[in-house]
Amino acid sequence: MSKIILIGSPNSGKSLLFNRLTGLSQKVANFPGITVDVGSGKLQALPDKTLIDFPGTYSLQAISAEEEVAVDYFERALEDPDVEQVLCVIDATRLEKSLLFTLQVIRDCERNSKKITVLANMMDVLENHDLTLDVEGMSAALHTRVIPISARSGKGIDEVISELSATACQVREPRAHLVDTPDAILRGEAHKLAHRFGPEGDVLIRTQNRLDNFFLHSLTGGVSFFLIMYLLFQSIFTWAAPVMDAVEGSLAWMADALVPLLGNQVVKDFTSDALFSGIGAFLVFVPQIFVLTFVIGLLEDSGYMARAALICHKPLRLFGLTGKSFIPMLSGVACAIPAIYAARAIDSPRKRVLTYIAIPLMPCSARLPVYTLLIAAFIPAQTALGGLVGLQGLAMFGIYFFGMMTGLLVTGLISRTSEDHHNDLPFVLELPPYRLPGLKPIVRNAWNRSKHFVTKAGKIIFTVTVVIWLLGYFPNYGADLGQSWLGHLGHFIEPVFSPLGLDWRYGVAIFTSFAAREVFVGTLGTIFGIEGADENMVPLVEHIQGSDLALGSGLALLVFFAISLQCVSTLAILAKESASRSLTLKMFVGYFLLAYTAAVVVYQVTGLLVG
Amino acid sequence: MAINLSLWSLKAGDHCEILGYDDALAEKYKIRLMEFGFHPGESVICLQSPSFGAPKVYQVSNTVFSLDDEVAAHVAVRLSGASE
Ligand SMILES: Nc1nc2c(ncn2[C@@H]2O[C@H](COP(=O)(O)OP(=O)(O)O)[C@@H](O)[C@H]2O)c(=O)[nH]1
Ligand SMILES: [Mg+2]
Repeated sequence: MSKIILIGSPNSGKSLLFNRLTGLSQKVANFPGITVDVGSGKLQALPDKTLIDFPGTYSLQAISAEEEVAVDYFERALEDPDVEQVLCVIDATRLEKSLLFTLQVIRDCERNSKKITVLANMMDVLENHDLTLDVEGMSAALHTRVIPISARSGKGIDEVISELSATACQVREPRAHLVDTPDAILRGEAHKLAHRFGPEGDVLIRTQNRLDNFFLHSLTGGVSFFLIMYLLFQSIFTWAAPVMDAVEGSLAWMADALVPLLGNQVVKDFTSDALFSGIGAFLVFVPQIFVLTFVIGLLEDSGYMARAALICHKPLRLFGLTGKSFIPMLSGVACAIPAIYAARAIDSPRKRVLTYIAIPLMPCSARLPVYTLLIAAFIPAQTALGGLVGLQGLAMFGIYFFGMMTGLLVTGLISRTSEDHHNDLPFVLELPPYRLPGLKPIVRNAWNRSKHFVTKAGKIIFTVTVVIWLLGYFPNYGADLGQSWLGHLGHFIEPVFSPLGLDWRYGVAIFTSFAAREVFVGTLGTIFGIEGADENMVPLVEHIQGSDLALGSGLALLVFFAISLQCVSTLAILAKESASRSLTLKMFVGYFLLAYTAAVVVYQVTGLLVG
Repeated sequence: MAINLSLWSLKAGDHCEILGYDDALAEKYKIRLMEFGFHPGESVICLQSPSFGAPKVYQVSNTVFSLDDEVAAHVAVRLSGASE
């Protein structure tokens, strides 16, 4: 099987081209960032050849450990005898940033006697602005074939295919004579070539700058920023929420239809309570992940996200993060899973890890039912300041703010106490042009993310739900949760939670909410014998108010849920994406201890104040 | 090199010529800046200088980059007349 390497500097359109040539769907985004993922796929037109998509870097002279991995990987691939030729994609509208990389790739191909073809992408943009690129001149200067293409419109793709199908054995003599040229000389050379062949004039940049005058302006930029963020959250609630309800509704319907057909009571209980709620527990997240990934994809592809990163850079830097952490943290307010995926675009490995650390404390939507229950039970429905603010609303705002601030403070503290320059990069962001987003790749990407979540996290959530059900059901067949294994476990761990003024029942609910935070509500309902507490909380709220649970315990629970990393899906995806189980474990234990300590303090202090 | 005027001190619309980098800037960043086209002798335009200390936006040849002060303050420049 012969292999073809596809390589190019960030944001040159490599992923889009890869998708076009293979029919697969790598993520396409108008946001320059590198990933160490290597994708590969068979060429649709030439099924005996595999196209390998390499991470894009600006240069083969790596400046971070991660770039080093990518570069090493490329250089080793060049030594692979199966590798037939190399396609190097450049952005014809921005030659300067691609040419050095191109020269380095040509040099390395010469060293390994590999054939290389340069693909000048984005020709549609040049044509739309009546600009030209001297393709012949560039071919001659680079001693390499240059094919003008557009990955978006499909122009020139046929020519690429015929170039690829041409017999590969005609490996040319090194003609550019770059074999021994050091990087420093190549830099100068790239610079000269860009000036000589780059498109004349700066219409493209002027168009982009006119929009930047608006989007980066202190007034219009600020207003549009908040407006766009507002729309983003609206879209989650208006598009995802109904689908989430529909998913829950249809699962309930299926369970109702199926369960009566089963004979044995245990099988019935298992099907309705473990199987269906296990599936439901992760399926409800899917619409959110899809919608969020889709909307963020639109914003990224339009070029706006790079501007948002710029706007948020300064405040985030205070906490050791970067403007590029903004998109992930924003997603985290809805759900930590798309947030963790979004962190891929952060080029500095150190800042990416810090962003991972901040994400789980963003107040995700699974916390909302827990907060709603606790606030309804413990905060009086009164208004203050002459009816201007409701106390309950204020408490909700307060706990959201508390979560975010704690997340930022933790990363700030970690970044200040640990130094790791080797893995850090300063903030340098290529500002991509504004573009009309291409819908298809964005939808496909949202779909892929959702699928990845279902396959990777689904199994784990499902298993956890089933195990918890088994523990709660046996040995007395669901008659009394208090006497079940889960109940015994609750009694066993009761001493852990008694410093918060909580008895074993809350311990059990905290334990089960590890499957997903909102399970806390349903479990409490089951324990107190209140059916359907996750749909209608009122009876449960009244029950808790009628019990002698102290205000301090309620507040302690709020604080606990704000901090603790109570979510198997997040842990599963985090371990996959960060490729570090130890980071995942440390975060889990660290946040549990922090949550617990903070909750104890809150309980004790409230006790002292209220008496 | 001691810096009189840095890339960071430019305002939107300023044109300048890059003189060099100061020693506080790590070697690898110098290299990366040169790779992006910020060579000594090259002319750079400051396109945006947003308020509140946000990173500034610079055009170098036909590419646009945003740099924050951690980098831009270490690049020495000389103002040049608007070339248009
Ligand atoms: N107009 C136009 N846009 C393109 C073309 N190729 C890619 N893009 C856009 O350029 C951006 C970067 O593309 P992507 O494939 O993610 O680049 P990569 O970073 O090199 O993988 C996306 O917004 C694409 O939609 C093209 O030929 N024409
Ligand atoms: Mg890409």
